[in-house]
Amino acid sequence: MSKAVSLQDRRPWLIAFLPAVFLFVFFGLPNAMLLSISFLKTEAQQLTGELTLDNYVFLFTEQTYLEALLRTFFVGVSVGILDVVLAFPLAYFLVRTNSRWRGLLIALALAPLLASVVVRTYGWYVILNRFGVANDVMLWLGVIEQRLTLMPSTGAIIIGLAHSLLPYAVLTLMGALGGINPSLEKAAMSLGASRFRCFVEVVLPLALPGLIGGFILSFSVAISAYATPAILGGPATQVMATAIYGFMTQLLDWSIGAAMAVVLIVSSLLLFYLAARAGARTASL
Amino acid sequence: MSFLRVSPWSALKIAVGAVYAFMLTPILITAVVSLNATNRSLFPPQGLSLRWWGEAFSPEWVDPLIFSLKLSAVSAVLSPLMALPLTFALVRYTFPGRQALMALTLGPLLLPALVTGVALLQFFDFMGWRAWIGFPALVAGHVAICLPFAVRTIAISLTTLPPNLELAAASLGASKLRTLMEITLPYIKNGIVAGGVFAFIHSFTDINLSLFLVRPGEQPITVKIMGFLEYGFAPTLAAVSVITLVLPLILVLIVERLTGLGNFIYGGRGNG
Amino acid sequence: MAEFALELQGLEKTYGAARAVDGIDLQVHTGEFLTLLGPSGCGKTTTLGLIAGFFPPTAGEIMLAGKPVAALPPFKRDIGVVFQDYALFPHMTVEQNVAFGLRMRRLPKAEIKTRVEEALSLVKLTGLGERKPLEMSGGQRQRVALARALVIRPTILLLDEPLSNLDLKLREDMRVEIARIQRKLGITTVFVTHDQGEALVMSDRIAVMNAGRIEQVGPPTDIYEHPASRFVAQFIGRMNFYQGRVMDDAGRIELVGGNVISGHDAQELAAGTTVHVAVRPERTRISKDMPAAGEAVMALKGRVSDVLFLGAAREVHVQYQDGRFGCVELPNNGAPVPVAAGDEVWMSADASCCHVLPA
Repeated sequence: MSKAVSLQDRRPWLIAFLPAVFLFVFFGLPNAMLLSISFLKTEAQQLTGELTLDNYVFLFTEQTYLEALLRTFFVGVSVGILDVVLAFPLAYFLVRTNSRWRGLLIALALAPLLASVVVRTYGWYVILNRFGVANDVMLWLGVIEQRLTLMPSTGAIIIGLAHSLLPYAVLTLMGALGGINPSLEKAAMSLGASRFRCFVEVVLPLALPGLIGGFILSFSVAISAYATPAILGGPATQVMATAIYGFMTQLLDWSIGAAMAVVLIVSSLLLFYLAARAGARTASL
Repeated sequence: MSFLRVSPWSALKIAVGAVYAFMLTPILITAVVSLNATNRSLFPPQGLSLRWWGEAFSPEWVDPLIFSLKLSAVSAVLSPLMALPLTFALVRYTFPGRQALMALTLGPLLLPALVTGVALLQFFDFMGWRAWIGFPALVAGHVAICLPFAVRTIAISLTTLPPNLELAAASLGASKLRTLMEITLPYIKNGIVAGGVFAFIHSFTDINLSLFLVRPGEQPITVKIMGFLEYGFAPTLAAVSVITLVLPLILVLIVERLTGLGNFIYGGRGNG
Repeated sequence: MAEFALELQGLEKTYGAARAVDGIDLQVHTGEFLTLLGPSGCGKTTTLGLIAGFFPPTAGEIMLAGKPVAALPPFKRDIGVVFQDYALFPHMTVEQNVAFGLRMRRLPKAEIKTRVEEALSLVKLTGLGERKPLEMSGGQRQRVALARALVIRPTILLLDEPLSNLDLKLREDMRVEIARIQRKLGITTVFVTHDQGEALVMSDRIAVMNAGRIEQVGPPTDIYEHPASRFVAQFIGRMNFYQGRVMDDAGRIELVGGNVISGHDAQELAAGTTVHVAVRPERTRISKDMPAAGEAVMALKGRVSDVLFLGAAREVHVQYQDGRFGCVELPNNGAPVPVAAGDEVWMSADASCCHVLPA
């Protein structure tokens, strides 16, 4: 009823005028500008009006940045997989348990979201640095004789990001698993499916959109994360986000910074598009 | 039945315990380290001291903390305020350009905040608005990236509002405005509050956007910590970290007490 | 005072090509309890929404107490609506819910207080005014919704399937309760339901709707005893249908696979017309021997396929020679059922109980 409004109705635009203008000026326009700048040349740290594809060519040919690009995707995929694998048992447990601590356990699983990723990564810094807790404990236990260099490293970045993005995967999977009627599992077992078969043939297919969603979410946030790679990585383990920061604030080559940002946008959107298609396919089954 | 259940379920419990340990250990260790007596991250701590906590409350840290709180508070108020008319237009009407408006609204959720930060820096520079870099630019950017959260929570409330409720009010003689004020807004109040809380948290924990829009003296606590980390480690940071962790927690607990925030938890998404 | 509390004139509502309400003319007398009865999708709820003013009609006029209201928004129509889901305001107490309409009318506080109390006592909820709707049972919410709609003393009360969310026992109690309150207040009421039982028990008149139109309007007994169309005949109560053909201008009808009858309720049928002959199962008899026929009794041969025990009655299902099925309802009066599955039997009924309907 409320939707049955004539097409010529200007009311929604009147209602939403201010926020729409705000978003256009402070989100739409800047991003459109960013896209344009990525096709302009920067000379002597100044933008020129010259149109060029050099920025993109540079990114995809210069070894440092090509490596950063590949490392970013490697980190993204690793974090995505790690988070889905870690989140699945947790989400399944939280959805199915009858424990009276359930509310508290859910809160505990999501509480890390309240802390900035800087703070959460800082915990890993405390653990992983050369004079950190991990080395202290291993020395104390006698596992190692010499202090190990655990960071900066790509592995440290992956662990740190997987840790800080885990709650998102848990949330997504809880949503998907919570939608699965527990009677379905009972029905499958009553029809003779073992616990394992039931899991593989009933729970997994139904949870698939959630698994994909959790992966996509972790992946897309991971590839654009700055703080964790900056803290747990170093000059030898650059990712796109740290490289962009470098271009924007130190090298002052905004064109290449913008081009890299565009690459990030495109990868991110492409992934969401693929996810939407995968989601549509699973939903149509 | 229950006999058969025991073993897989227990295995699951062990796995769940391990995941919780992974999740919470770094945070707990940070808290413990902040009590260290020496300027080292020794674990187990050698000697207890509140010295680093004292340092954490010096102006060097309190100033950016207060700046962060101000910034987040403004985002928490402005985001739901702007989201409200936007959500009404998107949920209640079909109109030409609705898809475009939808994309513009949810865009900040899809595009990395880092990119929006870069874009805003270039935008303010290009427009000759360099003077705005700092608090005003940060507010603009934070509201833009927090808006979608508020739109989402308000949309959830608005779509669960039974249509008959507004019809009932109309049948009882309430005009459109009175129905809005007395039925619709009170009904979606929790969605608005939840949107504000999400905006606050998202803004308070943001680093990716803020990174590009700060100026000396006008930087949120996350950027300050980030900058400090480049020079190395100090237990002060552990103390500061604990403080920034506890503040939003307190806020959420208060709001959860006052309203039923739990319903909106399933909607969250943020950037790392 | 206007002659009719409510009058619908050529009312239409279309959504694109779909004709939800397809030309309705209806008069409701002051103080009358009229039911719009029909299957889901027949347009009854849309009709109610049009009367309430929740959306504008595509064509036609609505007269409320003699005044045209089709162009007025709902809040200027002076109507009381009880919704299927009650639509109680969850953030208000019972008292605040009931007082809402009075507040909108800017009545003085003292008067609001007394009228709310009166309304709550009318629906037997005295003392529960401080509760929130969510703390109440379905039946209680129903009463609050009723009180809220009645307290504004509307020109007309509209009830949209108000009983469908209640369980069986409560539903039967509320039928009586709503009818009692309606008669006590003498308020003109339009009641929408798909439940024929409710319609028959509660209404002064029933308007049976199908595909956006009214098929028949009349008192419950009329509708039941003299259905005007095959739709009405099969929608209300149960009915056996037989095929027949009009033999002559006197209206004698030959049943397919049966005998010739006369003295039924049809008038003026041209010879040669094909017709449906409809008979209620409870007016049908069953016997092993061929009944003493004659044209005053219809008789048809068949074979018993099932005998069902329903408690208060028994039902015998019979398959006729042409393959169709019919049934007979026998009251459980203590006597055993005279036939068993597999028996060859005769179904018969007085021609005066036969409704002849156009095919």
